[in-house]
Formats: sequence, structure tokens, C-alpha cells
Amino acid sequence: MVSAPSVPTGSPAPVAVVTGASGWLGQNLVRTLAAQRRERVRCLVPVAAEAPLLELVSPTIETVTGDVRDPATVDHLFDGVGPDVAVYHAAGVIHPRRAVRELFDVNVGGTQLMLDRARRAGAARFVYVSSNSPFGVNHGPDHLFTEDSPYDPYMSYGRSKQEAEQLVKQSHARGDLGTVTVRAPWFYGPYQPPRQSRFFAAIRRGRFPLVGDGSQKRSMVYTDNLVQGLLRAEVADKAPGNAYWVADAEPYELREILATVRRALAAEGLAVSGPERVPVPRLAARAAEKADALLQGRGRYSQALHVLGELNHTIACDITRAREELGYEPAVGLAEGMRASIRWCLEHGEPL
Amino acid sequence: MRTLDTEVLVIGSGAGGGITAARLADAGRQVTVVEEGPWVDADALEPFSLEEMATKYRHHGASLALGNPNIAYAEGRCVGGSTEVNSGLYHRLPDSLAADWETRYAIDEFTPAELGRYADRVEHDLGVSTLPGAPPPSSAMLERGATKLGWRNVEFARVFRYDAAGRGTKQTMSRTMLPRALAAGATIVADCRVERLLRDGNRVVGVRARRRHAGGAVERLTIGADQVFVCAGAVETPALLQRSGIRRNTGNGLKMHPTVKIAARFPHPIDHGDVPMHRITEFAPSLTIGGSASRRGHIAMALADTGLPFDDALADWENISVYYAAIRSEGSGRVLAVPGLASPVVTYKLTDGDLSRLARGIVHLGELLLAAGATELHPSILGGPVVRRLDELGAWWDAVTRSRANVMTVHLTSTVRMGEDRRRTGADSFGRVWGYRNLRVNDASLLPDAPGVNPQAAIMAIAARNCDEFLAW
Repeated sequence: MVSAPSVPTGSPAPVAVVTGASGWLGQNLVRTLAAQRRERVRCLVPVAAEAPLLELVSPTIETVTGDVRDPATVDHLFDGVGPDVAVYHAAGVIHPRRAVRELFDVNVGGTQLMLDRARRAGAARFVYVSSNSPFGVNHGPDHLFTEDSPYDPYMSYGRSKQEAEQLVKQSHARGDLGTVTVRAPWFYGPYQPPRQSRFFAAIRRGRFPLVGDGSQKRSMVYTDNLVQGLLRAEVADKAPGNAYWVADAEPYELREILATVRRALAAEGLAVSGPERVPVPRLAARAAEKADALLQGRGRYSQALHVLGELNHTIACDITRAREELGYEPAVGLAEGMRASIRWCLEHGEPL
Repeated sequence: MRTLDTEVLVIGSGAGGGITAARLADAGRQVTVVEEGPWVDADALEPFSLEEMATKYRHHGASLALGNPNIAYAEGRCVGGSTEVNSGLYHRLPDSLAADWETRYAIDEFTPAELGRYADRVEHDLGVSTLPGAPPPSSAMLERGATKLGWRNVEFARVFRYDAAGRGTKQTMSRTMLPRALAAGATIVADCRVERLLRDGNRVVGVRARRRHAGGAVERLTIGADQVFVCAGAVETPALLQRSGIRRNTGNGLKMHPTVKIAARFPHPIDHGDVPMHRITEFAPSLTIGGSASRRGHIAMALADTGLPFDDALADWENISVYYAAIRSEGSGRVLAVPGLASPVVTYKLTDGDLSRLARGIVHLGELLLAAGATELHPSILGGPVVRRLDELGAWWDAVTRSRANVMTVHLTSTVRMGEDRRRTGADSFGRVWGYRNLRVNDASLLPDAPGVNPQAAIMAIAARNCDEFLAW
């Protein structure tokens, strides 16, 4: 592991509260927090079935089941935690199951409620997991988002995360809660959801669409890298009131991502078939993007259209400020991280 | 047909028209004000009573913006306009918003300092103050709930003057600016509806109007004017312009503060004489919480919103008060004058984000009222549920849907936006309608967006500013 550059920090809080704890990032985060020997890691999970497995990880893990929009549920989450608590708010909806409205209810409403309860608990720090989507897409393959880039949200998800980021910043400006926003691009890593397994399976069989020549770039973040970034955001002295891009060291070209995944699949002993590239004209991606926007305007959502529309663009960020102010240093790169992800899938019987 | 002539014609007598009339008359201009609604003695009707609604509101207080959901709106239609019927709350346009509008719409001389200067004068002229004593229980409930939850709250100032005994009088236009205009020689013609503007090239030469006399006789009038100020509010101003053939950027981009309500039952009596002056600013500017007029009629209407039986609650009405959550909306609407119809068609489209904010607002409001000691909450949601405990509140998130939410508003703006960006504005930085030398708009229509606070302070300051520019011209 690369050692993090030294920046002034406080010490981690003995108690951590985590929302979205049973999610992709949450599973990774909670395991790291438990391994740090915190006194307690209080976790919010949306359905009761997810609680027992999480509690097995460590006796310090406690779960509360419920809806992050519900005041009584969030009260339970903070019951008896005291002020020596760091809050990691990772619950959010990316791909709504029913209607676009869910994005705003959970991403904005849930965040407001968490901020309010964290403030009332006197929490030491509030770390919010945001996204690239409030910033839309880059102007070209060489343009990188920085912390000074203006908001330009990509569709409803982007608008919901922008509104939540603004609430997080306002809470800090209020003066009694130190908040930090960590903006993460597309993740990869263990505990991945079925949509990411389908992504691997499609690449393995040469069925994943490569829009245009694939030179458009993507910042990605390995989940362990992101967890390190979040932990640094909890303790770095300069962090409160700010937002940081946290990603792998450099963005990758989309064709490089696909080639790396195919190599990683082969290296883990999986037979890879079909063509390496399934070219899709940019026109088709633009049509998908238009159809996605039209549908979202009517409150409906299609994950396939949304993803295809987005694949046409460069979405990449510069992590200089996280390096300088958080002391963040990504330790894992694409090839190593993808192999670890695939191993996790194989160990957990995920169909690839 | 009778013909009148005036130097300056002001159409409408509310926050915009009242200020305009007084300032121009004071400056020695010959001013005539025409008002569609009646002249009602300010002391004749019980404030916030149903008789007042029937007399001083357009459509008896039951106007509707069509959409999914429909949104009920209310506006004054009487001498003094909505200043006669509102709660008098007064909040200057937030500086950040003024700065944002100045750049976004390229509005000249729209700095916070410039507007502040005019706000100072308006406040001096009208009288703006906070309560001299303790707040009434309905308002104290807001303060109590907010204090328990640690939410920022503030007692808003109001357009009120208080006598030595502490009795307050709302400083409506009919009590302040309109008498001042009369004293300076202005004429006010009530019950007189302007049907259309008469144009000659790039000038407006006058208007055609109908005046209803006591007893019901209708008189047709032509009023010739050198200068015309349209101050009929964000619905009627663009409708009049459209009826007169002026359609470019008029009526589109309607903005409002969509509002949901809760009738809250307490284990003790709540006063119903005044309207709460406390506001919860914790979630401002996107979301504001406050209290509404809560006479028995208002309480009955609020209780009826769930569609559930409410006899038991209504019998206990003295312990109930109505509160609201209002949002800044991303959605927008339009006003469209339709030939043959006296009233324009108003439409408004709430976005999914707006609907979510309304749900969030009613959940926050519910939490505040429970913290203040309320025992039963009746939301403006068809089918409820009525809530008695905190752990029941979460159900409202999914209950606030397009088919079940009862949404209303009392703040409408932005139908003839001001600024130098001609693609998005209907009037220049000082309200002069694009393409016309002597036609100005001077009311809520000019605000480029809904301000997130009661808009009358912004309307008055902008109207005063525009009058000065006109006089200097």
C-alpha cells in the first residue's frame, strides 16, 4: 500500500453511523470501520433480511432497519450514540425502481433528515457520498472536473445529488456540523450489485456496447480506494465545508476499461468469447440519451437507456485536491481491482 | 361612451399599483387608478372571514391553476389588491437572489444596495414592525416546536403599525398609499375592469373599460392616457397584455410557491384572531414553514382535505390551527387569455422534484407540530393518514402523490419578467414593455422568479424603484 502523504488530521471517532450499509460501498466501508476497532458501527439497512449478515461481520456492528426518509427510523439510528460519532451517509438511489420521484425523496429528503439528526447528536463529522452526476459530462476527452467546476446536473439523478450536496454545504455554513462531500465516479470492487455482474458477463461474451471509438474517458474508483478517501474525509483538518473528487489515480479510456476487464476475466480462469469490441454508433447513444430524458420528464426511468446514453461521454475528474487536503492516495489500479472484483464474484457464486 | 383623459393611468391598486399611484401623484403627475374590484371600507369586514373572501378575492378565493395536480390559488380583487387580504408579512428580497437575478436576466441597477435603499423608503412610508408584545399562541407553537428541534426560526416583521395600547393595524394600500395618492390629487375608479389597451404603433393611447355602478348598471368607458402602468398582478397583467395583442414573453414562465397544509390539533385552545408571524427558516430558501389564517371556516376547509370524517375534530376547532409548508418550485406555468372568457386559463406544471419537496415539507412540518405538542395532524392529502405519533409520519412520503396532494398557493409571479435579456423577458430592467414607449408593468409579474419569501416587499421596492426611473426619464 502506498503510504498517504501526511496532512494534519484529528483522530477517528469511536462510533460510526453508516447509512446504505448493506449497499455496494456500504459493505466495504462497514467492514473497514469494524476492522479499525471502533467501539460501535451503527448501520442503517433498508430491509430486515440484510441485517443479520452484516451483524455477523463483527460484534461492534449494530443494525437499524428502515427507511432513511422516516424521522422515527433515523431517530433510532442515533439512539444513544452520543456526540463522539462520525456519520457516513451513503444511502441513495441511483437507478429508481418505480418512478423518478424516488431519486428526490431518498437522495434529498434522506440527506436532509440525516443532516438534521447528525447536528442534533452533535456529531463530530458528517461525510456525504456524492457523485459525478451533478456535474454532467466533460467538454472533451482531455477535460477533467475539479472542485471548481460548476454544477451542470445530468438528468434527474444529477439534480437530486446536486440538491443534496447543497444541503450538506448549507449545514456546514450553519456552523454546528462539520460536513464533507466526497464525489465518487463509477465504482468497482467487492459486494457489487447484479448490474455490475451483468456488465462483466456482457464483456466476457463480447456483448458490451462500445460507443464510438471508445476513446471517451471514465474516472472509476475501486471501492477500497473510495473507503480510504471517506476515512480521510472524516479526519482531515481541512476537509469540513468542502467537497472532493475521490477516484483512481487517472481516468481510463472506455476501450481500455473493456480490454482490462477481458484480461482480468481470462486471468481468473474464465473463458472469454466474442469480439473485444461491439461498436455502437454515437448516434444510437445520442438517441438513447434523448429517449432517457423524455422518459424522465414523464417521471419514468429505463436503466438500459440511461446507461447507454451516458456511455457516449467523457466523465472524468482530477483528484489533486483530495491528495493535497485529505492526504488521499489511491492504492489500487484498474487491473488489480478488476481481478479482485471478479474473484469476489466467483467466491460468492455471482453469475458471470 | 364616456371618455376620460389622464396623464398617467395605473391599472390595479395592489402592492405594485398602490405604490406607483402614490409616488407619481406625489411627484405632481395627474394620476388615475382603475381597479376591477370594489372599494371596501378596510374596517367593515372581519379580517380572514368568509364574507371577506367573498367580497375581496377574485372568484371568491377559489381560482385554479390547471395541471397534474391542479393548484388552487387566491388573489385579492378589491381596492388595495392582495395587501387587503394577506397576512401582512414583510420580508425583503434576499440579497443573494437579487444578485442572482441581476446577472441571470441582465437587470440594470438591481444591486442589493440599490434595492435596499428603496426598501428603506417603503418601510418608512408604510410602517413595518415586529410585535410589541408576546406572540399569539398559534405563532408561539411554531417557535416552541422549532426551539425543541433546534431549527432556525424568526418572527417576521409585518406591514403593521401599533398604537400605544399595542393594538396593531395592517398598513394595507387602502389605508396608506391610496389615500396618499388621493391627497396628491389622484382619482381612483373602483369596480372598473380594463378590457384592452388601445394601441397606436409603438404607443398605447388609452384603454377600453367597463365600470359597474351600484345597482348593476354597466358603463362603457374609454380612458385616454399618456402613460400606462399595468399593475394587475401576475395573472391579470399578462392576460390584459395578451388581449391587447402583446404576446411576446407575456404569460409564460409563471412561478409560484406551491404549498401544502396541516390542520394541527392541540390539547389547549389556540387563538384565531391573528395569523402566525413566526417562520421556520431552517430549510430556506427551498422550503419555508409558517402558519395560516385559522378561522373556523379555514379549519373546516383544511380538515376536509383528507376526505376522511372530521366531525370530532371540527367540534374541537378552538384547539386547532392551520400551518403550511411552501416550496420554491422548479416547475412553471402559463397564463393564457382566451377570447370569450373573462378569466384567463392558468396552467402550472409541478416537477417530480417539486412534489418530493412538498412531501419533505409536510413531513418536516408534521415533526415540528408534534414537537410543539400537537396531538393530531390532518394533512392536505386525500386519504390522509391523520397522524398522532412521530413513527406514523413517514407514511406521508408516499401519500403525497399527484392524485392525492392538495396543493395551493397565494404567491404568483414572473409572467412579464424584467431585464435586458430579451429572449427571456417581457419588459426592460425598469418594467417598460418591450416595443412600447409608454407602457409599463409594475407588479409581481416583473419578478424573474418566485422569491421564496412573501413577495410583497420585493414588489413594493421594485415598483418604487421603477417609478423613480420613470420620473427621471
